[in-house]
Amino acid sequence: MSGPLHTPLCDKLGIEYPIVAFTHCKDVAVAVINAGGFAVLGEAMHSPEQIAADIKWIRDRVNGKPFGIDLVLPASVPEEKTVEELLAQIPQSHRDYEQMIKRKYNVPDPKQAPNLHIWGGLDQKRALAQVEVVFDERVPVFASGLGSPAFLLKRAHQLGIQVWGLVGKPRQAKKQIAAGTDVIIAQGYDAAGHTGNIGTFSIVPQVVDAARGSGVPVIAAGGVTTGRHLAAALALGADGVWTGSLWLASRESDVNLPLKERLLEAETDDTIYSDCISGYTMRTTRCPWHDEWLARGAPEVLKPPLQMLLSANYIQGSLDYQRKDLMTEAAGQGIHYVTEMKPARQILSDLVEGALDVFDRFASA
Amino acid sequence: MSSIGSHRPEEAAPGAGYREGFDAAMSGRRAECDGGKAIEGTHFAGRQEFAGILTGHFRDFGDYPWRWYLMTELTHRPSGYAHEAVWCDSGSVILEGDE
Repeated sequence: MSGPLHTPLCDKLGIEYPIVAFTHCKDVAVAVINAGGFAVLGEAMHSPEQIAADIKWIRDRVNGKPFGIDLVLPASVPEEKTVEELLAQIPQSHRDYEQMIKRKYNVPDPKQAPNLHIWGGLDQKRALAQVEVVFDERVPVFASGLGSPAFLLKRAHQLGIQVWGLVGKPRQAKKQIAAGTDVIIAQGYDAAGHTGNIGTFSIVPQVVDAARGSGVPVIAAGGVTTGRHLAAALALGADGVWTGSLWLASRESDVNLPLKERLLEAETDDTIYSDCISGYTMRTTRCPWHDEWLARGAPEVLKPPLQMLLSANYIQGSLDYQRKDLMTEAAGQGIHYVTEMKPARQILSDLVEGALDVFDRFASA
Repeated sequence: MSSIGSHRPEEAAPGAGYREGFDAAMSGRRAECDGGKAIEGTHFAGRQEFAGILTGHFRDFGDYPWRWYLMTELTHRPSGYAHEAVWCDSGSVILEGDE
């Protein structure tokens, strides 16, 4: 196949369209893969056993087509304490503020208290155990959603596994390209979740420049939800796009229905880049928790993981009782264009058609 | 894991899952760390940036090995970061003058 959407990334992966879906939902991943795109399944919070089971589930449904697994390799690790020690560090003033929010918005108690003791282990040992599953299963692509994958490149390449690195700064891209990373995902500030502070339109060409001559494809991430975004990314020199928010409200997505409705209604400025959920800055949809913690006179946000310990009951209660008015989810600024609950195949098709329209328009001008 | 509140890390406990060492060539080097980790209780991650001095102490995890350096004398740390030191993945460390 040739045409404006056929890029080196398509050849590298054997895919039809240079569109990568990042998703935590296996059904979305399979639908995108079978429609000619590529999917990377986020497995950071899963046990090695669960990851192995998910890999098999996908393999059984994609007829040999390639796919990827994304893990969050830590890049810095502070001191660890027990959950009890951490809970004891939360000031009473912050507990009182959390209770005020609970009363003001009638936030329900979770059906089952979040098991804080399973939160431990987000460290090197756990990450290595997860990586071993990806290696054992010979997953075609391993994507590192945060830390540098440089240390595992040799082993991965011996096993025939491509390694992708997601970066938020050009200097991270340079370092990973020099180390031998196979594909770089340049993620802009527009993106959902953790991002750098450089906008997509600024970081993508800089990373493309850094990769020039290396043969390393660059994928643009952050705010990509239409064919126009895809065409623009290719015009910036990228070889494809990385999409996440686009699939959250798809028909196959396992996101619960009230949250899908919230996402379909959300505008760009309903996403907010804040540290009040977890103590880490991340882009999520705005909810009453944000409103209260960003209000004048609110207590200072606690360091990680204390703030997450504080917000855990709010988050879980909103999910358990499907309270759309309370829910929050990681979503990028491109959420404005996510307005219908469509099948993943149609979303992919719309993206392709939209991009081809742009190229046709330029060709006929 | 040992405390990193002091500049000298504690020795690895049996079963700690890492090997410790000291790299004199890295000791005293000024560096930045494009850090971060997964966020407890979620499937999200968060970035954190640090700048400071590498002590030269390192920890190697796994067979690859995956090397981590101890950074102290922090001149830049995330808001609310209460510790005086941080362990940084070697692949995420940018040494001054190398950028």
